[in-house]
Amino acid sequence: MAMTLDVQSRQTDKGVTVIAPSGRLDVTGAPTLKDAISEAVKDGQPRLVIDMEGVSFVDSTGLGSVIAALKLVRSSKGDLRLAAPNQQVRVVLELTTLDRVFAYYATVEDALTDF
Amino acid sequence: MSPLFEFQATLSRLDDGLETLHASVQQLRERTGRPVDDRNLMLFEIALAEIGANVLMYGRKPNSSDRTVEYKLRADSETASAFFTHRGPPLHNQLKRAMPAPTSETGRGLAIARKVLDELGYERDGEVNIWRLVKRL
Repeated sequence: MAMTLDVQSRQTDKGVTVIAPSGRLDVTGAPTLKDAISEAVKDGQPRLVIDMEGVSFVDSTGLGSVIAALKLVRSSKGDLRLAAPNQQVRVVLELTTLDRVFAYYATVEDALTDF
Repeated sequence: MSPLFEFQATLSRLDDGLETLHASVQQLRERTGRPVDDRNLMLFEIALAEIGANVLMYGRKPNSSDRTVEYKLRADSETASAFFTHRGPPLHNQLKRAMPAPTSETGRGLAIARKVLDELGYERDGEVNIWRLVKRL
């Protein structure tokens, strides 16, 4: 069985970490994202963009990992933005009213502006 | 109305089981010519993945020789219906969970499923749990 989620991370020249999961962000994929986020917030005041473009499907556990990330980042006085969620991800954010909690941006470039 | 689409599988592992659920909805989408952004089918798939994950994680008897879950999906031109049948502990006490606070990291699955489905049925027959998920398309 192939892994449901692959995660790539990169750092911009302004020190923002862009984490790009790809695949299904669900109960089986969420731990992989959590690990990548823990790694990214180890030092300093993290500024994180999660690039959701490659996420084909999110479930409540996957969403929980993003909420955990937001709490972790804010507890370190950093911040987190979501970029490029597809329609399914946006629908789940609306259903759970988490669209009021997460600022999300159409593209990674938009998310990085003034961050 | 006779079904336009039927799918049946025996699920056991969580990862493979979820893969099968998504693959079955993709087959339904292709067979009925529905686009990937068809909202009602998308909502049905969201509920299916939530209930499926719950059943595969919590719905089976530990150390039992029968840890399989029977899954059926059928659709006609108006409705998609899915059924999960499995031996295990009763799960009806989870059904009434409300949507948790925005900062909660868990506990949304059944609340989401209830919100998006037209019917979410649960029956217990002896040691067997039977789930019925229905969504008008």
